Amino acid sequence: MAVPTYQDTIRALEGYWADYGCVLMQPYHTELAAGTMNPATFLRSLGASPWKTAYVEPVIRPLDGRYGENPYRFQHYFQYQVVIKPAPSDVLDLYFGSLEAIGIDLQRHDVRLVEDDWEQPTLGAWGLGWEVWCDGMEITQWTYFQQLGGFDVELVPAEITYGLERLAMFLQGKRSAFELEWAPGVSWGDVYRESEREWSTYNFELAPVEVLARRFGEHEEECGVLLERELPLPAYDQVLKASHTFNLLDARGALSATERAAYIGRVRTLAREVARVYLEREADGVAAA
Amino acid sequence: MASLLLEIGCEELPAGACREAEEQLPALAKRELGTAPDSLFVGPRRLALRFDDLPEQTPDEWLKGPPVELREKAAAGFAKKHGVDVEELVERDGFLGVERPGRPLRDVVPERLDAIVRGLSFSKSMRWDDSGIRFARPVRWTLAVLESEAVVGTTSFGHRFRSGALEITDAAGYEECLRAADVEPVAEERRRQIVDGLDAIGGWSDPAGVLAEVVHLVESVQVLEGSFDERFLQLPERVVVTAMQSHQRYFPLGGNRFAFVSNGGDREVVRAGNENVLEGRLDDASFTFERDVRVGIDSLAERLGAITYFKGAGSFADKTERLRRLVSELGGGEATLEAARLAKADQASELVREFPDLEGYIGAEYARLAGYPEAVSSALEEQYLPDAAGGPLPQTESGKVIAAADKIDTLATSFSLGHRPSGSRDPYGLRRAAIGLNRLAVDGGLMVPRSLLPDEVRDFVEERLEGLLEAPVEFVRAARASAAPDLGGVARVAQALYEERESTAFDGVHTAYERAHRLAGRAADDAAAEVDRGLLKEDAERALADGLAQVEVDGDVRRALESGATLAPLMERFFDEVLVMDEDEAVRANRLRLLLDVRDALGRLGDFSQIPR
Repeated sequence: MAVPTYQDTIRALEGYWADYGCVLMQPYHTELAAGTMNPATFLRSLGASPWKTAYVEPVIRPLDGRYGENPYRFQHYFQYQVVIKPAPSDVLDLYFGSLEAIGIDLQRHDVRLVEDDWEQPTLGAWGLGWEVWCDGMEITQWTYFQQLGGFDVELVPAEITYGLERLAMFLQGKRSAFELEWAPGVSWGDVYRESEREWSTYNFELAPVEVLARRFGEHEEECGVLLERELPLPAYDQVLKASHTFNLLDARGALSATERAAYIGRVRTLAREVARVYLEREADGVAAA
Repeated sequence: MASLLLEIGCEELPAGACREAEEQLPALAKRELGTAPDSLFVGPRRLALRFDDLPEQTPDEWLKGPPVELREKAAAGFAKKHGVDVEELVERDGFLGVERPGRPLRDVVPERLDAIVRGLSFSKSMRWDDSGIRFARPVRWTLAVLESEAVVGTTSFGHRFRSGALEITDAAGYEECLRAADVEPVAEERRRQIVDGLDAIGGWSDPAGVLAEVVHLVESVQVLEGSFDERFLQLPERVVVTAMQSHQRYFPLGGNRFAFVSNGGDREVVRAGNENVLEGRLDDASFTFERDVRVGIDSLAERLGAITYFKGAGSFADKTERLRRLVSELGGGEATLEAARLAKADQASELVREFPDLEGYIGAEYARLAGYPEAVSSALEEQYLPDAAGGPLPQTESGKVIAAADKIDTLATSFSLGHRPSGSRDPYGLRRAAIGLNRLAVDGGLMVPRSLLPDEVRDFVEERLEGLLEAPVEFVRAARASAAPDLGGVARVAQALYEERESTAFDGVHTAYERAHRLAGRAADDAAAEVDRGLLKEDAERALADGLAQVEVDGDVRRALESGATLAPLMERFFDEVLVMDEDEAVRANRLRLLLDVRDALGRLGDFSQIPR
């Protein structure tokens, strides 16, 4: 089999999970630090409605940028996210099938599930699962959600998060994400290296601290107003924006450990409130997100 | 009699869960089937138990209920509880009860297996469907084979990728069936294969102790060897080892070689993949390392003001200032003061953020690279020692001083913020810090003035001394009340008192102390402020006062005991000839003071009332 380009790998995953019956969503429209935060995962995993989805999510983590100098660290990269709710009993086999679909021969490689307990304090969320190793490379985070927004899940979803760069580096035998072949003749670095440099400069040096601190408060307030009007979906966008604002403040080194903990607590409170209103609304028979 | 094999098939269990199951299964099995299993099989994808000789019939049961005379009152409730009609209750020896005849083993196996599954409890557990079962990871199949017949489930499963559904033809042949399907079900055997493989390669080490986990990361053992580019040897060695062990569960072989265990796969493919991953991690660490080194340890130290040490206790810069003061008070020299200035600098480094366990060590490496003398860098490296019960102490003087200063500050800061350990909860490791401080003083010979410790901290630290010394606790308590100025001194006094406990001198001092204490201790309020020699009327009391003036109790404990013991005959004569409770109030007060002075002089050696005779 020819070495797949980055976009070949994404297409193969899209095809595999679409064939399984997933709704192929598109990336969300505001900054997220993980595919989990997309309402197609976070909100849809709450409540009693079954749901299957798969999508690419660009994740934005200001603190992880390295100005495009370190081939392993980026402030912007991609996850491929799959959520199946409730998780069927053969869900692991389904996952292994997806690895075969992107060209991993399970006989020749050493694929293993290594304990990984997932926790996301800003979302009041946790679950148990694994990091999936392929010849020692972590290519997927695998989680059975147990709690989201502080609420026990009703139907336990399986969340499968492929790290697309790592996966592609493995498949293409590359040691640097910048060298990945995105499309024939075009590298990942061609597409994003300059972006890493510029955004790192913004995140670490220029993002305006006072403005961000003010914005955080505004998002928080707006979230509250929207929740009073029982509009959890737009309210949730304010949680995401508040969370990203916090991440920028963190990257600017503007927060002491105490302040950091306080900000995380404030985002968690918002996420819990959104989850609560979302669940109440579902109980009233309103359709899901 | 029959053999029975029970298997609980799981998605990959964490090693910790395997160990928890291993501990609980024998007792659970005994509870459910009346006997502990003859064989236990524990691994990531299956927990299994085998009984070689189970009775084919469970024993008859007699569930004893209320006495016959309480039939009216209690029979209905009892019957309901056990799911029978009142008329079915049987009378036996004056009691009502339910007779449960034994049942064929094959009929009870399904419910007993289910009870075993539900009876296991894990420190972290989850649910995955609506069965109500909580387990470390989802249970995907159960199987029970009685002799050669599956009575629960139909098949087991072999190696995840090299085999499939697997018929277990008889309970006795379980291992053989699995081995034919590329699974080694016996954990001890997997461990042996791993160790044999590592031994065959030779020179392996496992400083972080990952072997116990690796045993439960595979069902099929393949030990492989790999290497990485030698340029990564420029990284601090422990960074390389941590990347190998904590992140990848590899076994360092020295130099640029490592060994690891896979669950299968093509040897060359798997080796190349793992080498690539490790090199990626080391490459990433190199980027971080080089950035830190470019910044330099002095600039890192200047950034500490922006990093909070502890809520309420200021920044790491504040901590650094406190350390410098403590180092001075502990008699640290120039190099140690320099080390104190740099001690926390690595908290500002990126590499410590990536490898938090390597704090101290990384700072030391950066100090060496910046050209600081070895006395400074080794002190940085040793500042957290001893970091475990019985762990090594710092070897250098500057290391001992910094280590003590760090512990004193941690204790004083935590206590001042109200963070005292309670019960088994000690999130800030204060007990370990206190024990470490004592060991630095006692075993390390470091002079730690007791006056450096706030009262509450001093009590907490010295209470830990009680468990650390050979001398029994009452001798340590006695010595804690002595005038010894430093922690090591308390230990030496306790030890010397204990060793001298049979000597005449000890006996003399103990008796003199006790007599003075018993008589005057309670009447201290009535005693004069100081002895007035003019009021000493009797020869015996003048002799005692003269003797007391000669007594020298500071310094060597044995000589002090000899000196103190000279008071014993004088005390005896005093009590024979002098009536303390004289009618004249001034004389009485003067005599009480004299006795208190005797007690307090001897008390500089310790509180002898703590030591029973």
